[in-house]
Amino acid sequence: MATRALFLERIRREVEKGGEFFPAVTASRPAHPSDAAELVKRQMAERWPEALDRFKVEFERVAGVFHRVAGWGDVPDVIVEIAREKAARSVVAWDESALGLDLRPRLEAEGLSVAVGGTGAGDENARRRHREDSARALIGVTGADFVLAETGTLILLSGRGRPRTTSLLPDAHIAVFDRTRLVESLAQVGILLEALHEDPTRAMSGAMINLITGPSRTADIELTLTRGVHGPKDVHAIFVGMP
Amino acid sequence: MSASANDSRSEKTVPARVPAGPPVPSAGPSKGGEPQRRVDVSLMITCLADTFFPEVGVAMVTLLRRLGVRVGFPEGQTCCGMPLFNSGYHADAAAVAARTVDLFAGTEHVVVPSGSCAFMVKAEYPGLLAGSPREQAARDLASRTRELSQFLVEVLGVESVESRFTGKVTYHDSCHLLRGLGESRSPRALLRGVRGVELVELSGADECCGFGGSFSVRLPEVSAAILGKKLDRVEQSGADCVVACDAGCLMQMGGGLSRRRSRVRALHLAQILAGEEGA
Amino acid sequence: MSEVRFPERAATALKDRFLQEALTIATTKFIDLRKESFAGFPDGETLRDRARSIKEATLQKLHVHLGQLADNVERLGGHVHWATTGAEACDIILGLCRDRGVRMVVKSKSMATEEIDLNEALEHSGVTPVETDLGEYIIQLAHERPSHIIAPAIHKTKGQVADLISDVAGRRLPADPEALTAAARIHLRQKFLEADMGITGANFAVAETGTVVLVTNEGNGRMVTSLPRIHVALMGIEKVIPSMTDLAVFLAILARSATGQKLSSYTTLVRGPRQPGELDGPEEFHLILLDNGRAQQIAGPLREALYCLRCGACLNVCPVYRQIGGHAYGYTYPGPIGILLTAMLRGEESVKDLAHASSLCGACKDVCPVRIDIPRMLVDLRQHLDEHKIAPRAERLVFSLLRRVLTSPATFRMSAAAGRLLQRPFARNGRLTGLPFLFSRWTQARDLPPVAKKTFHERWKDLR
Repeated sequence: MATRALFLERIRREVEKGGEFFPAVTASRPAHPSDAAELVKRQMAERWPEALDRFKVEFERVAGVFHRVAGWGDVPDVIVEIAREKAARSVVAWDESALGLDLRPRLEAEGLSVAVGGTGAGDENARRRHREDSARALIGVTGADFVLAETGTLILLSGRGRPRTTSLLPDAHIAVFDRTRLVESLAQVGILLEALHEDPTRAMSGAMINLITGPSRTADIELTLTRGVHGPKDVHAIFVGMP
Repeated sequence: MSASANDSRSEKTVPARVPAGPPVPSAGPSKGGEPQRRVDVSLMITCLADTFFPEVGVAMVTLLRRLGVRVGFPEGQTCCGMPLFNSGYHADAAAVAARTVDLFAGTEHVVVPSGSCAFMVKAEYPGLLAGSPREQAARDLASRTRELSQFLVEVLGVESVESRFTGKVTYHDSCHLLRGLGESRSPRALLRGVRGVELVELSGADECCGFGGSFSVRLPEVSAAILGKKLDRVEQSGADCVVACDAGCLMQMGGGLSRRRSRVRALHLAQILAGEEGA
Repeated sequence: MSEVRFPERAATALKDRFLQEALTIATTKFIDLRKESFAGFPDGETLRDRARSIKEATLQKLHVHLGQLADNVERLGGHVHWATTGAEACDIILGLCRDRGVRMVVKSKSMATEEIDLNEALEHSGVTPVETDLGEYIIQLAHERPSHIIAPAIHKTKGQVADLISDVAGRRLPADPEALTAAARIHLRQKFLEADMGITGANFAVAETGTVVLVTNEGNGRMVTSLPRIHVALMGIEKVIPSMTDLAVFLAILARSATGQKLSSYTTLVRGPRQPGELDGPEEFHLILLDNGRAQQIAGPLREALYCLRCGACLNVCPVYRQIGGHAYGYTYPGPIGILLTAMLRGEESVKDLAHASSLCGACKDVCPVRIDIPRMLVDLRQHLDEHKIAPRAERLVFSLLRRVLTSPATFRMSAAAGRLLQRPFARNGRLTGLPFLFSRWTQARDLPPVAKKTFHERWKDLR
């Protein structure tokens, strides 16, 4: 087994020998990512309506289902409706602190069971229980940390109260967000990712970021497009806020 | 002694459009009447055309003379060396390249009826002869050499020639002309510029015909299968002939069309423009 | 590696009617999707230039970026391993399995793991590897290798897939992609939940943040990095990139090049094992950095091939690949880039036939997101094969004869005259058919024009 020192020394020698195939540069990065991220936020505070329109178009293009409600109080109604369509009995959701609302009262009143990803790390039992809940649930409800209009993408950070599997195991994934989450371009996402990683343990409580663009899909069998291979078959976006 | 029967047409002025582009010292006869300065070209005939398709060379000479160009032909030329180069025999290719550079020294323009040979001279000769006494001469030759359609359009400013050819044609983009020299517009413009010609687009025109030089004999079944697809499309186009700017492609496609006893012919652009066929 | 040589494998592939049709449909579809995607993407060309530049710039300081990547992964609580060869990488993984009591492994699609024959090594040591990418799953059931970099099972009919999955499901399934996918979903879901270890490749790794990036569509990449207690990522050293800003450049063009999607369904950024406070995610994260012939090319003739993003675009446009499919190439990586990667990983001798499996049409270079000049490197390979006398003697003889003909006008003239004489018995209606010896390779499927009665040289006398 090679050691790091030997391995890297070998590469260093080859790099030196290899020189330059042509003068090349890496991407030019923001000198102050947090400032650049702030600028993006300010731009989006103005441009969110256009971004929302674009998001809807792109999201639907990748088979996403778009909903819009006036206020956070209206969100559970949409979820209940989706549950009804899918004949779903159980839902798994991010913790209230991550989601921005507590779904339990309204959903349980409709006879749905709601498992919430608690904020404590819990022990092995808690983890196992949550995994079983998530595997059983037909619907997973999360927030979205950024919503990328250019490609119809939901960007989710994992962490405390926001498990990875909530948007992965259930048949349907529902993401709830408001105007503050919208961004327009992949380039802006680059800036935001730079900013997040300036002080990652402060900015993120988890180790995974998922960029989700539509449902799980494959064309591996005779190039026929099928949805819901391992991840959700359906992805819903609920935008909170009226013009 | 006597010039070819076509010389009687050489005095005729040819209507032409001058496309916007960099000013060229030897403007063609587009201003009507006599050209201001006679354009001199040397013909690089290519090994395949010399041996198998001399009529392409004849058509080129006819065409160029009709356009008021003086055509020279350095005798003793053989090949650009690409078959050797592509198979990896670079020292041998360099020897051939050196001969070619010497043969074409001092000629004003070199015109080639082949995208692959023009590409070989323009893109590979400088590298092949780098560090040799002919390094500069190779670069110089590279800058003076053009494939036929590019010469007509870029140097002579001609996009429309009178030709007796009539018929429905379709155009196949030879790989080296298309991707090596970035040319897909000029041949089509020239074909459209012939009054009797109806140009129909070939589906998958930019797909290889399967010749690839020695590839066609190293992997003949694969080459033939690729060719089969190409010819199916050619026949589906409804054209009477398929036109290309490369003798290799014409050998491949013509050979396949003939084998399947197709009524479609494979012709070189020069033959259409000179109007030798189909009159 | 099969004993059968490439030309025969190619000939076999040409006779496979279903394969021919499947290849035409699949590659045409991918070509159209990619074209459409870039047509509506004006920034595309600039981004390709930038991506190429990033790859080259990264290579120029590769050891620095890899060192930084390792530091950051370790800072996050991950482990970094250094594998000079494929065998070493297998040993590292087998060692982990042994030490951690791993009995079953779920795998997300990874060409690197194919390259090192990992599944075979795992099976030999009593660990069960389960491929979870649907295409990989199908070919695993069929005991085959992938035939395309991103659509591994395009050579299989849905009938064949139904047979394979029905066996596993224990009941007869219809030849319907929806039903088959649903069955695979159920079966593999159990594996995800039960597996001890998840193994992935890495499309990229961001040095500055210690992030491994997976670009997938099915969700299995997320499953294997969220459910099992150990995550192992095997990564070629050339996959490292410096920053998140660089990542955004690649993400903008990768999926478009591969499938015409703006982004794949899932782009997953993994920063080490799960953090305290996370309810799911692996306890342990291992990153294995794999050399296996790559470092040698940093100063070698195949350096540019290290830019490869494994998108498969070059396969889809290659006239040869489109005719013969991936298996005929005989190695892990097929298609134009596959020839170069095989030379890189197994030495030039291994591609003495494959180096000629190209008409040098250049379509691959046209579509490569990082503009790798594959044709140039193929010609270079051929040159090395000649220089090192790996090309067969008979061939070298033919070409040295050709050189003599082409450097002597007299000999050139004589050859034409000789041709004119010798062709007479074979000329029919102004065409040559049925020629003997080497020339039969041409005439088996095509006619040849005869040597002209008068070459152009001879006609010039009259034209002058």
